[in-house]
Amino acid sequence: MGKPKKMTLSRKHNFTGWVFLAPGAFLIFVMSFVPMVRALLLSFKTGVGADMKPCGIMNYTRMFQDAVFVQSIKNTFFYLIIQVPIMLIFALILASILNNKNLRFKGLFRTMIFLPCATSLVAYAVIFRSLFANNGIINLLLVNIGILDQPYSFLTHTWSARIVIIIALLWRWTGYNMVFYLSGLQNIEYSVYEAAKIDGASAVQTFFKITIPLLKPTILLTAIMSTNGTLQLFDESVNLTDGGPANASITMSHYIYNMSFKYVPNFGYAAAMSFLILVLVAVLAFLQMKVGDKRD
Amino acid sequence: MKKKLVSVLVAGAMLAAMLTGCGGGSGTQAPAADNGGAETEAPAADGASGEETLTVWCWDPAFNLNAMYEAEKVYQKDHPNFKLNVVETPWEDIQTKVTTAATSGDLSTLPDIFLMQDNAFQKNVISFPSVCMDLTNSGIDFSQFAAGKTAYSVIDGKNYGVPFDNGAVVACYRTDYLEQAGLTIDDFTDITFDQYIENGKKVLEATGKPLISMQAGECDLIMMMMQSAGSSLFNEDGSANIVDNDTLKIVMETYKQLKDSGVLIEVNSWDEYVGSLVSGDVAGTINGCWIMASIQTAEDQSGKWALTNMPSLVGASNATNYSNNGGSSWAVTTNCKNQALATDFLASTFAGSTELYDNILASGALATWAPAGDSTAYATPNEFFGGDAVSAKIVEFSTKVPSNITGVYYYEGRDAVATAITNYINGSDIETEMKTAADTVNFNMGK
Amino acid sequence: MTKGKKFGMYLFLCIVSFISVFPLYWMVSAATNKSAEVVAGRLIPGGYFFENLKNLLANQNVGRALGNSFKYAIILTIISLIVSSLAGYGFEIYHDKAKDTVMSIILLAMMVPFVATMIPLFQMFSTAGWLNTTIGFILPTVSTPFLIMMFRQSARSFPHDIMEAARIDGLSEIRIFFQMFIPTMRSTYAAAMTITFMNAWNSYLWPKVIMTDSTSQTMPMVVANLTQGYVTDYGMLMLAVLICTLPTAIVFFCLQNAFAEGITGAVK
Repeated sequence: MGKPKKMTLSRKHNFTGWVFLAPGAFLIFVMSFVPMVRALLLSFKTGVGADMKPCGIMNYTRMFQDAVFVQSIKNTFFYLIIQVPIMLIFALILASILNNKNLRFKGLFRTMIFLPCATSLVAYAVIFRSLFANNGIINLLLVNIGILDQPYSFLTHTWSARIVIIIALLWRWTGYNMVFYLSGLQNIEYSVYEAAKIDGASAVQTFFKITIPLLKPTILLTAIMSTNGTLQLFDESVNLTDGGPANASITMSHYIYNMSFKYVPNFGYAAAMSFLILVLVAVLAFLQMKVGDKRD
Repeated sequence: MKKKLVSVLVAGAMLAAMLTGCGGGSGTQAPAADNGGAETEAPAADGASGEETLTVWCWDPAFNLNAMYEAEKVYQKDHPNFKLNVVETPWEDIQTKVTTAATSGDLSTLPDIFLMQDNAFQKNVISFPSVCMDLTNSGIDFSQFAAGKTAYSVIDGKNYGVPFDNGAVVACYRTDYLEQAGLTIDDFTDITFDQYIENGKKVLEATGKPLISMQAGECDLIMMMMQSAGSSLFNEDGSANIVDNDTLKIVMETYKQLKDSGVLIEVNSWDEYVGSLVSGDVAGTINGCWIMASIQTAEDQSGKWALTNMPSLVGASNATNYSNNGGSSWAVTTNCKNQALATDFLASTFAGSTELYDNILASGALATWAPAGDSTAYATPNEFFGGDAVSAKIVEFSTKVPSNITGVYYYEGRDAVATAITNYINGSDIETEMKTAADTVNFNMGK
Repeated sequence: MTKGKKFGMYLFLCIVSFISVFPLYWMVSAATNKSAEVVAGRLIPGGYFFENLKNLLANQNVGRALGNSFKYAIILTIISLIVSSLAGYGFEIYHDKAKDTVMSIILLAMMVPFVATMIPLFQMFSTAGWLNTTIGFILPTVSTPFLIMMFRQSARSFPHDIMEAARIDGLSEIRIFFQMFIPTMRSTYAAAMTITFMNAWNSYLWPKVIMTDSTSQTMPMVVANLTQGYVTDYGMLMLAVLICTLPTAIVFFCLQNAFAEGITGAVK
């Protein structure tokens, strides 16, 4: 017994681990990294359509002189800073309420709150546009209450268009994130909560002292995913506001898409902008992992 | 110890086998399923082997697909073996697929014929010269199409598209609203935008309804006004024509006047635009003639609408009352294995059959092919539009549309001008905004 | 909990649920109205449902699209769960510095917008002859950094003492995974299944590029087709969207008990 055997055991476990993760890692390598490397090479070329010539780092310097792209970076970060924290906190609160064993109709509540993200994009876009239309229900309500004198055209004003996008994102993705918290909460022994109750902890104390620390791995997951999702935000910008008014709500991914398929295609430039997104997300995710990915 | 190691290896191998097994399984299964479900549809690549089948991509079942099926019937009379495989594909998806295929150098996924938005023709032919077939000497008589329409798909003097649906601009009005303001449709025929605004104010006063609604941030009306004076955002040599473009300046000023006077109301989205028409929130609209189909969904308003030409710009040289918005043309791809069949099919249907155009008239598809307009079907009165023979009228309009330069960078120009007009309406200086728009377009062109 | 607090909680849940469901109510009521009524903003259900259904069935091959969507979504979900949970388990249970680094690298794979990698991927798939095949449809999304990370994070709460006990009993590593990990992590699997199914069901851009036959059209493609005409029939469109939404909603409803009342729920 003793040392030598332990060594082989851990080495064997080490090897087993690699076997387990091999298929998944291999697929990601082939399906994501190979195309990514090709896209990276493309980002050092320029040209129209399929006719591309090397151009050094021109695409990377170019994007910071591109007023529309710079605007899109600002917009995207605005969404990120406002929307992600609100959404995650809200999802956490909902999950901890809906985790309550004695709650009635919890299955129904959960399903209703999840439903928005199951809705297909087309419906969601049509519905939101109609809610915020000049003669839509929101305007009707605000005028009748007396907050507004006459209908306000939400999607054609800079700030209200951005806020509509944030509201739409919150509506659509809060229930989605709640799912992860709900499932994460199941891995916490219920007895921990009972003990806290006996000790006289309030609901708020339990939330901060027990729920949040124990959900930390899940919170990290959702934070990274939401950051990634928001920096690559596309659907809302395209379908709700079409980036308008005057590019006030356009996102980076929307602009990259335009550059690839709507405008005269410039794939080198589009690839370079895509790699800027990679760098931004990677830095943010790295910071989040530094803070949150510690095994106690 | 060894036993465990072996079991791990076996497990790993099993997994690998399972993965490839699944992959292989679905890989072989899929083509079989495709053949099983293929019914009448043959793969595009098989077109060459004596079979007379063409694959077509287009969108809108009621309109474009219907037209293709009718064309198939017409052509089948002389060619009983002829078959079409029409794959319904939205325009954005056609663009994505064409771009992807052309960029990756594998054109084999492309169909024989596809429908292309007129505004995207220049961009696609220049960006992907290998995709579209040159149809100039294919036996199709392009001279019989309206000149303004054909110009969209002519690049360097070569024809790449067979013009299809008509996008001639019409101005539609609710005659019951006009009546309340003491006006008739004649007061809106052959007028200028100054007169339009004057009339609009009267209508607004009498009924509280604006004369026209437009989707904010989309510059459809701007582009229609530009073309009505034969002007464009680009020069013959492809360079941007924005900064010192007097027509553009007049157009932007006119648009602001329309908005400021309350005659024009901006709405948030396309849905809302259509909604404002069918629910009677506005007294009219100006758009491509295809908008009539949407207006006619409001069955209760039958007989209350009338149609005429659009107002002309004041102060612009070459101003007319005619323009164009939207529309599309058929392109033949280089992937087509039987190009003689494809061109002959198009030549004998969309460029040679009044019967076809008569048959698709009911769906609202109006010809840009001149001989079709002489058909008696086009003279049939339309009850919805007050018993007017609108079809013949629109064909007549389309022959008067000035042609202009679309430009390869059309969408870039359009978006830049949309931004400029939004800022201008909100109080920015017009010269500054035009300069910014020009800078944006020049930046995109790499200058 | 006091009565007042309880009431407040239910009220809060009702308001949130109402806001979540209202747009869907709108969708359902739109599916029963005429197009012109929908754009005019009518909110009450009408009597046009069967007319819309008839038009939709005449206009689009909904049955085939539903069949395709189910086929792709189910195959993708099953394979994806196996591959990703194995990997997530491998990353966490046998974690060391090297594996943590590999995990961080794998995360990079999701950080580039798909638009940028789509064309190289298409090139690879066309060389491999996978255009218009099921494998071409599912392969790019079988293994996702997201799912792997999700399983890695939840494996963190998989009790190590149970594993040690199982090893002492002589269970092989793969059997520990199948016999102990999967049953214990039921709630994670149920959540992952819901999310994967939903993503597979709604996937659009890649399928559109790789599938060019009308025989392989899926439900989201049918919905997209309906928005393309010169005239949009909103009643019919909303009915199609409703049909497209229901399967995910049903999957969620069936699985929510499994993931929200996982292990502890079973042990009352």
